[in-house]
Order: sequence, then C-alpha cells, then structure tokens
Amino acid sequence: MSASNVKTNGTTLSKLDQALFRVESALNLTAGIMVLGLVCLAVTHVLSRKLLNAPLPGFVDWVGQFMAVFAFLGIAYTQRLGGHIRMDMLVGRLKGRTLWLTETVSSFVILLLVSALVYGTFYHFNRSFDFGSPLWSRDSSIDIALPLWPAKLIVTLSLVLLWVRLVLQVWAFGRAFREGAVEPIGVPLIEDAAQLAAHEAEVLRAIG
Amino acid sequence: MNDLIDMKALLAGVDMFNVSLWLSGLLIVLVLIGVRVAFAAAFIGFIGLCLFFMQKQGFDKGLITAMKLTGQIPHSKSTTYALSLIPTFILIGYLAYYAGLTQFLFEAAKRWVGWLPGGLGVATVFATAGFAAVSGASVATSAVFAKIAIPEMLKLGYDKRFAAGVVAAGGTLASLIPPSAILVIYAIIVEQSVGQLLMAGFLPGAVSALIYAGLIILMAKFRPSLGPSVGGFSWKQRFESLPGTTPIILVVFIIIYSIYFGWATPTEAGALGAFVVLIMALWQGMRWEALKGALMESAKLTAMIFTMIWGVLIYVRYLGFADLPRAFSHWVTSLDQPAMVTLLLILGAYVVLGMFMDAIGMLILTLPVTFPAVIALNGGANVTAEMSTLGMSGQECGIWFGIIVVKMAEICLITPPIGLNCFVVAGVAQDGKMDISVQDVFRGAAPFFVADVVTVGVLIAFPGIVLWLPGLLVS
Repeated sequence: MSASNVKTNGTTLSKLDQALFRVESALNLTAGIMVLGLVCLAVTHVLSRKLLNAPLPGFVDWVGQFMAVFAFLGIAYTQRLGGHIRMDMLVGRLKGRTLWLTETVSSFVILLLVSALVYGTFYHFNRSFDFGSPLWSRDSSIDIALPLWPAKLIVTLSLVLLWVRLVLQVWAFGRAFREGAVEPIGVPLIEDAAQLAAHEAEVLRAIG
Repeated sequence: MNDLIDMKALLAGVDMFNVSLWLSGLLIVLVLIGVRVAFAAAFIGFIGLCLFFMQKQGFDKGLITAMKLTGQIPHSKSTTYALSLIPTFILIGYLAYYAGLTQFLFEAAKRWVGWLPGGLGVATVFATAGFAAVSGASVATSAVFAKIAIPEMLKLGYDKRFAAGVVAAGGTLASLIPPSAILVIYAIIVEQSVGQLLMAGFLPGAVSALIYAGLIILMAKFRPSLGPSVGGFSWKQRFESLPGTTPIILVVFIIIYSIYFGWATPTEAGALGAFVVLIMALWQGMRWEALKGALMESAKLTAMIFTMIWGVLIYVRYLGFADLPRAFSHWVTSLDQPAMVTLLLILGAYVVLGMFMDAIGMLILTLPVTFPAVIALNGGANVTAEMSTLGMSGQECGIWFGIIVVKMAEICLITPPIGLNCFVVAGVAQDGKMDISVQDVFRGAAPFFVADVVTVGVLIAFPGIVLWLPGLLVS
C-alpha cells in the first residue's frame, strides 16, 4: 500500500504529467471497478448455478475477455507511481547526475521494449480485426463466440499510454541530468525501506 | 530490399547458447541498475528473440518476427481464466483492512491462548495466521498487527524487541496460507495446478504458525521477562469473542471447500471470499472513498503482477529457444554430489538473493531456470515416487518445491539489510510514538529466522505435510 513520491510544479512537463496522470487514474479506477464487477458476476454465476441450476452463459469467456482490463488498464498508472517492482539497493545509493543518468537509461530501455510491444500487440490485434467479418472479428472465444479483438485492442492502447508515460519519464530524468536537478518533476523518486514504512503507517492512520 | 545491417553474416556461426548466457548476465546488470524487473526480463527476452531470428532471417525479417512473436505474449498469457483468481485474492486482502477483522481476531486469540507463557505473542501469531486466511500480503499483515498488537504487549510489560519480532515474523505467514497471490504466480510460471498449490500451502502455514508459537512459549518460559501470560478469561468470554471471526472462518471454508469438493473454481471461490469480506467491510462502515482506495490499490497491484507474469514469460519464451533451462538442469544433475546437497545449495542461494531482492521479483526471475533443474534433480517430470531421488513423484515435486521457495522468499522479509516486514513494523511503531528502532525489530525477529530454517527442514524431511492435502484433491 505504498503511496507515491512524485513532485509537481507549474512547468509544461509537470502539467503534461498531471494531465496524463488524470487519464491513468481514471483507467486504473475503471480496472478496480471491473474487479469488483468480476466479484459480483462470479457470485451471481455461482448462486444462479447452485440455486437455479442456471449458470450465466459464457461466464468463462466473459472473464477471459475482461482479464485484459484488469491486467493492462492500470499499467501506466503503476509506472507513474513507481509501482512496478525494481531492485533499488544499488541505484538508491547514487546521487545527482549519476542517478538521473541511470534513471534515464533504465526508462529508455523500457521505452524501447514498449515501442516493440506496441507494434507487436497491434499486429496481434490486427490479425483478429476485419471490417468484413461478423462482429468485425476473424477469431472468437470457445463457448459463446465473443470477438477477441476488443481485448487485444485494450492491450495495445494501454501500452500506447505507457509509451507516452515513458517518453515523459525519459524527458524528466534527462532534463534532471542536464540541469543537475535535486528532485526531478513528474517521476517517482526512490524511497528507501524506512520511507515505505512511513507510507504504510500513513495508510493505517487513514483507516483509523 | 537489403537489410540495414547484414546480421545473417554477423551472427553466422555464433553459438546462441553462449549468447543466452551473456544476455542473462545483461539481465542481472539491468536489474541492478534499477530497470523494473518485469520490463528488464521482457527486454532481454525480446533482444534474445531478435538475435535468434536475425541469425536465421536477417535484420529486417528477424526484427519483425521477434516483434510479432513478443507482441502475442502479453494478451495471450494474461487473458486466461485461471489468472482471474489473482485480482479477487488481492481485493480480499485490501478489503480485509477495512473490515475490522484484525481487531476481532486478536481479541479472540488473546482470550483463547493468552494464558500461555508469552500469551500475547502466541495470540499475535495465531491472529496473523487467521488474517493470512483473508490476506495474501505479508507486509500489510505486519503493518496492521504492529498497530494493534505491539501497543497492547508493551502495556503489559513485554520486551519491545520480542513484541516487534513476533509481529514481523507473524506477517510472513500470509504468503503460505491461502489465498496467496504468490503461490498463484508460481503456479502460472511453472505450469502447476493452482488449486493444488493453494491447498498445499495450508498445512505448512499452520506448521509455521505452530513452530512460531512453540518458540515464543519456550522463550517466555525460560526468560519470563520477555512477556507474561494474560489470564482471567472465562469460557463465556472466550466464546463471546468468536462471532467476530466468522467472516474469516467463512472465507477459509469457502476457499477450501470449493477447491476440495470442486464446488466452485478457484476464481469463483476467490470472488465469493471477496464478496463476504466486502459485505463485512460495508457493515463496518466502509465508505466510497475507502472502497475507491481499495479498488485503486487492487488494480495497481494487479497490473504490477500481470506485467511481471507476461514480462517473464517473454523471457521464458526466449530461454526455450536458447535451451538454457535444459542445459542448466543437465549441469545440475551431472554434479558429483547428493541431490539433497544441490537442493540445499539452491535454497541457500535463495536466502542470499532474498536479502537483496523483492520476493516476487526473485521468484519470478529465477524459477524459469531453477524449477526445471529441481524437477530434473528429482528424476524428471514423469518420475514416480519410488524411482525419484527426493522421494516424491515429478508432479508432487512441482507442488512441494513451490511451497519451499515461497517459504524461502518469506524468510527474506525478516532478514537484514532490506527485510521489509521489519522496516514496516518499526515504521508503524514509530508512527504510534513507540520507541522501537529497525535494529530492535531485526534483533527481535532473529529467533524466528531460526524457527523458519527449522520449518524448511521439517518440510524437506516430511514432504507429506505439503503433499497430503493436494493429494486428497487428486484422489
């Protein structure tokens, strides 16, 4: 339950970061609500199957399709808050320009990967999608023949959003390196175990 | 059209197995310089696939083939029904925070076992084990009990290091006792049965809790200044404390019963559990802001875990092309030493790695190579128990090793320098104006490290503790 450690100010970079963060937050909340939806759907499915002998048709197919929502809509939000696991024992000891150079390089590596993934996942979507086919779909799920392209498109779009987030992060860390900044704007700063613990305490205080 | 670079000529005669070793080294460098583990693994997997296909098809075609192949994995590996269990388990954990279950559990445990030497410590361990049945998050469990149990123990004159150590160690039980997200991740990465692994974690989790409790009783008996017993509760008061724990009993019952009797799929069981805890949280007065917070955190953690899964599976796809896991297995089995020694060396490596790496990251990065090696060490995936080296069939070995490595990963949460549970306990204690430093928590947790080593020894010596419940499931 760690909170984020991202600085903001009035610069263009920060404004872009915050605008993007609003979109990312909305999508992440959508993913969360869909998880709650999955819970309700599964409960209905089980009760309906056990009590009325009438399971929801295509339940497994629907869940499979919505997995793309749970798995991908929050990916850029998580990157913005530094939520993807990393090992920061070494990088946490770096300071100033050396640190920002390392962060720029590591963000750039991810940017390269995500660029390739955007192409690859779009190709994967495009093979499924066909305006001339029923439901615009060349392939479908096993049970109730749901088209697969919407889930594939969600993956590509989520990765595009992550790509934009990474461009901002490369920009922010690169600028911090050039200017020798103390705290870059719009990027997650490294938290040591003690700061993480403090955040955990904050969350508990909020719960009461 | 000519290639940008003549990679076919450049890579002609290059041994792709050697390249895979270099790339695995580069992966370690990337992880060390702080590249997010999931993306570092996927990046190396992608680069490996590029080189593999470029050697055969040239630069342009090889690059396109690698991008197309890599691009299939995130969608195809994430949208499987079996994985839908993960978000429901995560949601249960976050909602359990708000459902007030911890207070009820601690109170009930205190009334029932408080009379033992070090009674509040024993109560804390059993309460954390109970909370683990609705939460798969070790750090969160430690945080929540640091707030509830430590002040009460300090009030009764418990040694502060002892109190803090009990809470930090008790938190580690969350990963073994179902619902455990880390066991589901293990199941997916190494292609084992999710249901069997979840069942397998139950008894080892209970054994860990009993060993912790035994250690606390022994320590308090020989050094009564560590913590007195808390007596004076009547049977009426004890039974009065039980209704508050009903949701937990219900969740445990639903998950175990559903999986065991095939009444519902693991996902459905997870969803039913989440529903029960949600109702309890709403009953306790949870409002939209808090629910929104739980949903945001659940979605974030879900995205993180899924990114790890498909990221590592890109790497695994490449390793398959490079034949690295098979070569490592071959090397491990050809070592001139007993299989048990090799296994213990692998587990020792996990202890060292875990001192520096996050538990999930450590498991997910190493399993593609260590899992096939351990299976090979036992005699292969299809070996029978009679013909095996470690005394269990190939399938049983897959389940058993999952429980052992998850336990190893848990041990690392209480070992310096980055044992996160200890930092969290100290952070929460200091936030509550208690005079407990991180060093105090590490020292307090040290005896539990020894207890954990004993537990792992017991699980290795008696694999039946792990395999009995999943064995019933199979039969």
